[in-house]
Amino acid sequence: MTTYIARRLLQTVGLLFLLSILLFALVNVSPGGPLAGHGQSRHISPEKIELLKRQFGLDKPLPTQYLVWLIGNDWMRVDLDGDGVPESYGTRKGILRGDLGFSFRTRQPVLVEISQRLPNTIYLMTITMLLAVLIAIPIGIISAIKQYSAFDITVTTFSFAGQAIPEFWLGLILILIFYAWLRNPFTGEPLLPSGGMTTTGSVGFHLGDRVVHLILPVLTGALGWIAWYSRFLRSSMLDVIHKDYLRTARAKGLPQKTVLYKHALRNALIPLITLLALDLPYIFSGAIFVEILFSWPGMGRLYYQAALNRDYPILMAVLIIGAAFIILSNLLADILYAYLDPRVRYD
Amino acid sequence: MVKSFERVMWVLAVLALVSGITACQPAQKQEGIVIVIAEDPPSFNPTITDAGYDALVMELVMLGLSDVDADGNVFPELATELPTQANGGVLLDEEAGTMSVTWKMRTDVKWQDGKPVTADDVVFTYEAIANPETGAWIAGLDHIESVEKVDDYTVKVNYNAIYPGYLTQFGGEQVAIWPAHYCDATQGFVSWNCNRQPLSNGPYVLKEWVNGDHMTFVRNENYYVAGKPSIDVITVKIVPDESVRKTMLINGDADLDMWTTEPVIADLQDKPNVKVSISPNNRWVFRLFFNLAAKGTTDPVATPHPILSDVRVRRAIRMAIDVDKIGQEFFLGYAKPVWTEFFREPYVCNIPRPKYDPTAAAALLEEVGWKDTDGDGMRECQGCGTAEDGYKMEMEFITYSGFGEPLLLTQQLIAEMLGQIGIKLNLSMVESSVLWAASTDGGIEQSGNFDMAIWDDGYGGVDPTDYLWSYYYSEAATPDYGYNYGRWMNEKFDALMDEAYTLDEARRKEVFCEMAQILEEELPEALLFTAVNADAHSARLQGVQSSTNDLVTWNAADWTLAK
Repeated sequence: MTTYIARRLLQTVGLLFLLSILLFALVNVSPGGPLAGHGQSRHISPEKIELLKRQFGLDKPLPTQYLVWLIGNDWMRVDLDGDGVPESYGTRKGILRGDLGFSFRTRQPVLVEISQRLPNTIYLMTITMLLAVLIAIPIGIISAIKQYSAFDITVTTFSFAGQAIPEFWLGLILILIFYAWLRNPFTGEPLLPSGGMTTTGSVGFHLGDRVVHLILPVLTGALGWIAWYSRFLRSSMLDVIHKDYLRTARAKGLPQKTVLYKHALRNALIPLITLLALDLPYIFSGAIFVEILFSWPGMGRLYYQAALNRDYPILMAVLIIGAAFIILSNLLADILYAYLDPRVRYD
Repeated sequence: MVKSFERVMWVLAVLALVSGITACQPAQKQEGIVIVIAEDPPSFNPTITDAGYDALVMELVMLGLSDVDADGNVFPELATELPTQANGGVLLDEEAGTMSVTWKMRTDVKWQDGKPVTADDVVFTYEAIANPETGAWIAGLDHIESVEKVDDYTVKVNYNAIYPGYLTQFGGEQVAIWPAHYCDATQGFVSWNCNRQPLSNGPYVLKEWVNGDHMTFVRNENYYVAGKPSIDVITVKIVPDESVRKTMLINGDADLDMWTTEPVIADLQDKPNVKVSISPNNRWVFRLFFNLAAKGTTDPVATPHPILSDVRVRRAIRMAIDVDKIGQEFFLGYAKPVWTEFFREPYVCNIPRPKYDPTAAAALLEEVGWKDTDGDGMRECQGCGTAEDGYKMEMEFITYSGFGEPLLLTQQLIAEMLGQIGIKLNLSMVESSVLWAASTDGGIEQSGNFDMAIWDDGYGGVDPTDYLWSYYYSEAATPDYGYNYGRWMNEKFDALMDEAYTLDEARRKEVFCEMAQILEEELPEALLFTAVNADAHSARLQGVQSSTNDLVTWNAADWTLAK
């Protein structure tokens, strides 16, 4: 197993390297570029374009740009003042030495931009996923045990709705109901806040304040997952329930509870856990619609804005870290699978 | 029955619990006012990014030598008066074609740390901007020879040309004066820390900036105007979704929404606690860009456009568009018809409004030699002179997605209107970073990869000179050198343009109106209408004046809060 993991990790490094070349090319050759006007400016003047190209390093050919992104440019001379003569050494260290570059838009180090947003996304997404799992598992079990019961049919209907309803629509409706219409009977204020992580201007940590700000975004984000996970567990549970070893377990007189939870559920959970491991990267990348609707300062919005502005360094950083997360989650899923299912061997 | 009762009780219990938790929250109502905007400002330095959001917060904390009010009048900010030839502030050397401008500065303006704002700060700011490595670009920067300190409160700008835009070069919504003793020049203008942690000399001081969430500003106790500002705290909240911002205004959780769009204005009309401030001037003119060179090329002489290179076709197209109908249907009556670049003070030229006449438009196309002979509803060239006979009158019509639905509907309706006279338009839409990118990045406009386009632009401030140069001058037709995307070239216009770089206001007015005449005859662009420039605000917030010349915070020091 250890050799297997070591081999996979080595492969990961190679894979990430190849991916980085591919992503860099894709990001750069996609139509449009960072030297276009945004917000209230339609254009950037030609003189400014020249200046920005030098400052962003876009005056170099693509392979050189990639090299600078990878290993930096503090070993080569660059022409910063535009006189055609490279005069001073660059200041970039490259991603291999932990320098992700700076954002074209804010001129802040990408690492700073990401570190300001990442905790907020992890916070929201962890709670959303935990809640989704905690609700989905009992629903999945009950629907499987009581297949075609009123509960099952109701839940099935809601699941299809949950998977079909777009997040941005659901979020808007929730805001309309809980922020625009319903009032808190004690204070006359809207029942729930429209967005944000805390009440602006509040000092210190208030658990209640945190919780009320979480309700709507978590609900919006979790609904789709609840539907998806519960459906998945239901069918996986149904598969198991009709297996011969369960009939044997019942036949030897084991109580129904033991049969269900010790024999059926354990086996039914294995594929779900794989699925969960594969969804882990969302904890890093966030949910764009939820963050936009509920004014949540997270990674999804950072990425979205970077994509609109063609902020290459931010795009590259988010993509490559996201890719690493996906590859590692896949590895984790494989390892967990081997651990949970003794039949699976990787030697 | 019992079960449903139980259910109702459950719902009530949950609601009570939620209400209980909300009631435990820290005090909801904040002091001061809340401004809601769609995205984080990139920094406090609009000179680098010009995103609008940067200027919005810059106006709260930083001053320039001058600023522009909502009516387009330039007024002194750090300066005691505006330098002119009459008051001796501007000296012309007609022979050499150069000039110098002397700014006298107020002596009572202080940075928030108590140090005075002096001529050193102006020189420092210029040098930081002009640094070829870490600087930025401002309009007319190449016309400045040097900026020198005369005494602590007098600064002189030497120009190597006559530059009529000098009044707002170190002010307005684009440029602020930065503190020499606080900003670290070695970090460079574009990336120094004071872009995000500014030292204030304006009405407010930045207290807190939580990235992506909110910024808090408090009253600057050292502000040079006694008794101002009157509002103690301004919170700028980042709320990306437009409908959420609208609901917050209605609920009283927001006091000011920046850049309110027509559909939102319509929704706010019957809300007694919300008012909408509309700019007295308009800047953003929706217009058709005609590519005079064949699609994908940039030379109108070697490869003329098979359809649009004939001015009569351009005239027919303009005649067939019902501007009033578009304004009523998609801009809810807030759009104003505009047909010349010179429609607002101080340069207004008398060009009669073109009439909407689809029948005459069709007749004109017939006359030119575009006829529908095969009865497919689309005209073909029959001796039109710009294309081979049988060439179909079919073109691509492009716009950008960032403006939103009203523009997309306008694009569709124009295609329909032109379809009525036998011109087929195929619609396309791209992001702004594709439409306006540099030609080396495949920018659609710069590389001439379009037939017809529609979008909005117009000059900020009061001086159209640079704007006109970039859009209509021959040299500006070179890819990535200007914005003459239609590649229209006219020697007479070029000569007038050169003449416009003068301080002789009377002559400038004449020159601009001669230009207006040429543009009307040649129709390189067809100007259609302006969209509204508005900012919605709560009724309790008074003194808000939306402006196309600046962001709505330009007069934040004058705002008051009704009890």
